[in-house]
Amino acid sequence: MASSSSLLRQPLIAGDKTPGEVTSDICAVLDRRLSRGWWAAFLPALALLLVGAVAVTYQVVTGIGTWGLNNTVGWAFDITNFVFWIGIGHAGTLISAILFLLRQQWRTSVNRAAEAMTIFAVICAGIFPVIHMGRPWLAFWMFPYPNDRGPLWVNFRSPLVWDFFAISTYFTISLTFWYVGMLPDLATIRDRTAPGLRRRMLEIFSLGWDGSYRTWQRYETVYKLLAGLATPLVVSVHTIVSWDFATSVIPGWHTTIFPPYFVAGAIFSGMAMVMTLMIVARKTMGLEDYITHAHVDKMAKVTLATSLMVGLAYLTEFFTAFYSGNSYEQFVFLNRAAGPFAFGYWIMVLCNVSVPQLFWFRKVRANLAVVFVMSLLINVGMWFERFVIIVSSLHRDYLPSSWAGYAPTTIELATLAGSFGLFFACFLLFCKFVPVINISEVKGVLSVGRERRAAPEPEHAAPVRQEGVTA
Amino acid sequence: MTKDTTDQYWKSLNEPQAAGDEFPEPLDATRVGFRRREFLRAAGFVFGGAALSGCGKAPVERAIPFLDKPEEITPGRAVYYASTCDGCTAACGLLVKCRDGRSIKLEGDPQHPLSRGGLCAVGQASILGLYDTQRLRHPLRRGQPSSWEEVDRIVMETLERVRADGGAVRFLTNTVHGPTMRTAIGDFLADFPDARHVVYDPLSSSAILDAHERTHGVRVLPHYRFDQARVIVSFDADFLGTWISPVEFTAAYQSGRNLEVARPEPSYHVQFESRLSLTGSKADERIRIAPGEVGATLTRLAALVARRAGVSFEASGSTEELEPIAQRLWGARGDSLVVCGAQDADAQAVCNFINQTLGNYGITLDIEEPSHQLQGSDRELATLIQELDQGRVSVLFIVGVNPLYDLSGSERLEELLRKVPLVVSFAERLDETAETAHFVCPDHHYLESWGDREPVAGTVSLLQPCIRPLGDTRQLIESLSAWRSAPKAAHEVVQEHWRTHIFPQQAEQVSFQSFWDKTVRDGCVKLDHAPAPARQFNAAAVQPIPSATSNEFTLVLYPKVGLRDGRHAYNPWLHELPDPITKVTWDNYACLSPLAAQQLRVSEEDVIRIKGASSVLELPVVIQPGQHDRVVAVALGYGGKITERFADLAPRWLEAKPTVAENGRVGTNSAPLLELSGGTLRYVAAVELQAAGKRHPLACTQVHHNIRVPENLAPPGGEVRPVIQETALAEHQSNVRSGKEYSEHEHADLWGEDHPFTGHRWAMAIDLNACTGCSACVVACQVENNTPVVGKDEVRRSREMHWLRIDRYYQGDGNDVRVAHQPMMCQHCEHAPCETVCPVLATVHSEEGLNQQVYNRCVGTRYCANNCPYKVRRFNWFDYPRNSTLENMVLNPDVTVRSRGVMEKCTFCVQRIQEAKIEARRQGKPVEDGAIQPACQQTCPAGAIVFGDLNDPDSRVSQLLRSSRRYQVLEEINVRPSVGYLRLVRQQSPATEGEAHG
Repeated sequence: MASSSSLLRQPLIAGDKTPGEVTSDICAVLDRRLSRGWWAAFLPALALLLVGAVAVTYQVVTGIGTWGLNNTVGWAFDITNFVFWIGIGHAGTLISAILFLLRQQWRTSVNRAAEAMTIFAVICAGIFPVIHMGRPWLAFWMFPYPNDRGPLWVNFRSPLVWDFFAISTYFTISLTFWYVGMLPDLATIRDRTAPGLRRRMLEIFSLGWDGSYRTWQRYETVYKLLAGLATPLVVSVHTIVSWDFATSVIPGWHTTIFPPYFVAGAIFSGMAMVMTLMIVARKTMGLEDYITHAHVDKMAKVTLATSLMVGLAYLTEFFTAFYSGNSYEQFVFLNRAAGPFAFGYWIMVLCNVSVPQLFWFRKVRANLAVVFVMSLLINVGMWFERFVIIVSSLHRDYLPSSWAGYAPTTIELATLAGSFGLFFACFLLFCKFVPVINISEVKGVLSVGRERRAAPEPEHAAPVRQEGVTA
Repeated sequence: MTKDTTDQYWKSLNEPQAAGDEFPEPLDATRVGFRRREFLRAAGFVFGGAALSGCGKAPVERAIPFLDKPEEITPGRAVYYASTCDGCTAACGLLVKCRDGRSIKLEGDPQHPLSRGGLCAVGQASILGLYDTQRLRHPLRRGQPSSWEEVDRIVMETLERVRADGGAVRFLTNTVHGPTMRTAIGDFLADFPDARHVVYDPLSSSAILDAHERTHGVRVLPHYRFDQARVIVSFDADFLGTWISPVEFTAAYQSGRNLEVARPEPSYHVQFESRLSLTGSKADERIRIAPGEVGATLTRLAALVARRAGVSFEASGSTEELEPIAQRLWGARGDSLVVCGAQDADAQAVCNFINQTLGNYGITLDIEEPSHQLQGSDRELATLIQELDQGRVSVLFIVGVNPLYDLSGSERLEELLRKVPLVVSFAERLDETAETAHFVCPDHHYLESWGDREPVAGTVSLLQPCIRPLGDTRQLIESLSAWRSAPKAAHEVVQEHWRTHIFPQQAEQVSFQSFWDKTVRDGCVKLDHAPAPARQFNAAAVQPIPSATSNEFTLVLYPKVGLRDGRHAYNPWLHELPDPITKVTWDNYACLSPLAAQQLRVSEEDVIRIKGASSVLELPVVIQPGQHDRVVAVALGYGGKITERFADLAPRWLEAKPTVAENGRVGTNSAPLLELSGGTLRYVAAVELQAAGKRHPLACTQVHHNIRVPENLAPPGGEVRPVIQETALAEHQSNVRSGKEYSEHEHADLWGEDHPFTGHRWAMAIDLNACTGCSACVVACQVENNTPVVGKDEVRRSREMHWLRIDRYYQGDGNDVRVAHQPMMCQHCEHAPCETVCPVLATVHSEEGLNQQVYNRCVGTRYCANNCPYKVRRFNWFDYPRNSTLENMVLNPDVTVRSRGVMEKCTFCVQRIQEAKIEARRQGKPVEDGAIQPACQQTCPAGAIVFGDLNDPDSRVSQLLRSSRRYQVLEEINVRPSVGYLRLVRQQSPATEGEAHG
């Protein structure tokens, strides 16, 4: 590694790559046949997905009673999973849009995968609001479209309708952003591919990319605009998801702190998921030079920062309850910490607040094994955060007469497992068929041609893009 | 086939030569292309279809009208027939609602002098018996389907032989107080040299009758007048729940305690009891005593009363704590009432002595026009069993009782019955006794029958059929007349009896026909009855009862509000009705006090073994605050054969558990521990208790019992939720005129009024002081609104579907608990939290203040239920089974049957609102106050629920909601419910005031 006395920044990409090497390194995965390791990961994921599909089919055929819900606890695993996956999806947009606008060049190695993760997570999330309905076959009634039922419109006052808009917008923009960012790379692969069906497909999907200045100029404009469009979504989606709860009258839900709290939590969990996936990907796909310790270090720092925000939110909630003088509110928080679902609360505090404090230590951040385990714990913690918010608030609300318990059924557990199966199956397919790392952007942050500069890097390292298509 | 065409004639040149070939061309399914006819046919079809579908409206479908329309039936309009409830022997007045020829709902008859418009849960549910698929539809001979001709032939032959031989004929029934039926049985038995009518009631009160025979020389059940009593002292008599005539007593009790009606003081009610009964939960003062102490306590009270009256009556033991009660009784002498539910003639005699000394006879207890509601004589039952034992009975008829289930020692009894040459059962269902009978001659359901009842001397009511018999059943009266070789229709028999016996006892109507018509219309008539002469009181028959304290556990067998003696155990509505006190459904269980449970080291759902003199029971434990520490209380009426039908009641899915227990039945029959000793059925017995080391899950609808939040989770100041508001009587009286007005805007509001409520504005007032928790409303709501039964497992998962529930809260330390019952249903909030969150506008506000649920728009996100602070919304988790077309006949055609995946909840009986509005519009009048009664209000014996228009300042509901007692549950969250509650007003006895706060 470079000496610490150097005035230069640590190179973002290790191994002194030439642009040509970058292309061949990243495309190597695509050129290889499907490895045993890939199958070993893909088949279990597919199996989980099938388990989930069977469970969902059974539930849709038999009725939502096959879940452990009851008259008092109307949502539990369903909406917990929904919020969890939406949260996972957040890091993608954050990395791709906000960090792009802030010129954080380290994002280049991870943004493609993070965006893919976003899309798959949003797909996973989107399933739950549909299947949690009593009559999922009527889910299209959530669309406000002219119809012959009156016409009967949706209830624009309902946060679920806002959710519908927020998530569909988010999904559309994320997908577009992902695809547009992939155009130069698709063209690169096209150029490497022998004529045939595959090449024909790539020609179509790369939209006739020719690597000219004009193409690059338009591409960059579009990309910047999309980044600008996506940025507010990072804040809006989880803000609106949090309104599902915040606009209600249920103690523990009715809280104005929810929007920032949810956004911070979403970035927190999303970063953790990116770390989980990237640490595995760099190891298994031989991308150590591209996803370096420095990347993990930066993500760990973001995670630590958001962990502190989330921890602050937990404390603030308790303080607000105490300060409100509202005994229902106070009870809900005492009940969270010491009631029947206290285990969930303390798992949440342990995983989301205590564990990430280890990231203060450089040594911990540098130890990928530890970071990996911690990222898993954070995801567990964040799942429980949603579970605690939803179930512990609902199960004991205003009237003691209607208090009830909740326990998931096998169908619910299988559905949760199935959503992970879907997520990993999609991600593994992505790893195999799309360049995991943004080739063209990584080339832009190579040290090629700048290596021996005496002065620190200029603020804006304009990438020399042409190699992207000719490699 | 060879074809020979030479000998065939032909008609034209075109005719084919092959005679066998009818069709000119071979039919070929694969042929492409149209022939002309086919083309025209298809074109006609297509054009016709296009023309039809092109019409703006679907073609109007018209139901085929009656070819021969019955005079009074208009399709779509309900007709009400007056009748009498036969759910128990209390015989409350009924209005049977019939739609298009089928009975769909029972309502209390407001003109009935006893029940006054109320009807209990059992009465409400009894309509399901009419459409019960397992009701016998034809006579049985040795368990095999038979015909009436065959049954009649063999029974008559046997009877002829018995008559000639002089064999003993016994007619075993529960209380029969229908004058026609009594006469019919009497006439039937008169033909035999040795015949007797033996009466016993599974829930016997024969000790009261026996005691009156001793003290007053006449075996009667007094007619208790709770409305006349200013002080009521009850010893183990659950008169608001299950004792004798609960609907009548509740109405009467409430009329003496109504704070809105001008009356100097509400009555004061002291309850001495061993378990926490419904009645005890309403008492102003409740004293826990062991069942063995009832006699001694009565004796001490008698001594205190006697001392004040200057009569001598000896009693031992301390009388200090009874002093204030005696003082109150003495202060209200002449209009006080002491009742005792114990099956102990000695104790009942002491009770009579107290009432006699206080001068209550003739005022609060009427033995001149006594009650006929329970006339069983346990002594005669004992004699019958003795006769059976001796093999002296030749013919046994069994009506309305199920001795092999009701009584202990059923194996031996079954053997005895098998030895009787002819046993004829008239059971409607194949119960334990009917199974062993030679013949089962199923009686009609009472809604198919003609008949009469005389619950109280001089008050006679009619039963009239409201539907044609659904099976090949025959009324008991008709069977008896057939066997006397004088077959007559029940209608004729009843009318004949009324012409000769009832008509002469009244003077109002001159012609019998007008008298009959009027009675059929009204359902009930009061006769000019000559009261029986006053009886001399025989003080010598009353003996003081010494105190007998024992440290053993005493078993108390009690009837539950829903199931009573188990005759209605076929009825899923009653099984799913939560017990008003324990809130447990679908099971019986052993209630133990918290201390007793602690001593036995058992917790809820642990099974304990109850070892009695002759039998052992295993039952799960329910910890019951307020129960005596040495008492274990077990409900009767469970574990009968007729509960085997519930084996596949609930929705079926992966993790579903059956409603029945391992024995294939619901609960366990506790009657084997019943003792028939000394000529009295005894519901208490000394038992040994032991943990059985097993567990049995119970389905309880209210997991958290207390109004307090758990202590370790209670924020300071938030220990008790202001859900139940109460005040002391003295405070209420000093403050009653300074009532706060019903104010609309107590909280600031960001938004303008979006609901002007220019027409009606529906609202409801619920008087917590009046509500006894009897749960009649819960069943009434279920019947009216087609609410499904979900089964034990679903209830256990907190998914019961009742739109109306009664929340029961305890206050106190577990020993001296105070109880509050709070009916809770959709509050129809003006700022309804459910309405804003529904994404598809499936729940919206009407311009009359109703919160409406649109079933066919609902997609089932359950967001509305989550956001409901009262948690009154109910979700259809499954398609609940409704497979029986017969049982589906009970469905209310005005109310949609909800499908899987939609939310539902109380609608304020919107179908009744609409009906009344349409009727008013038809008559060109405004809707009158009181014209709309939701099912819950209609059936409430206590009149605790009042519905009406808040925009009418003079409506009853407006007046009540202006009361100083009015409050709203969770007023502080400003959802502005349309349901107002009237505070509980407690009369605290000064002695217990301090310790009542736990």
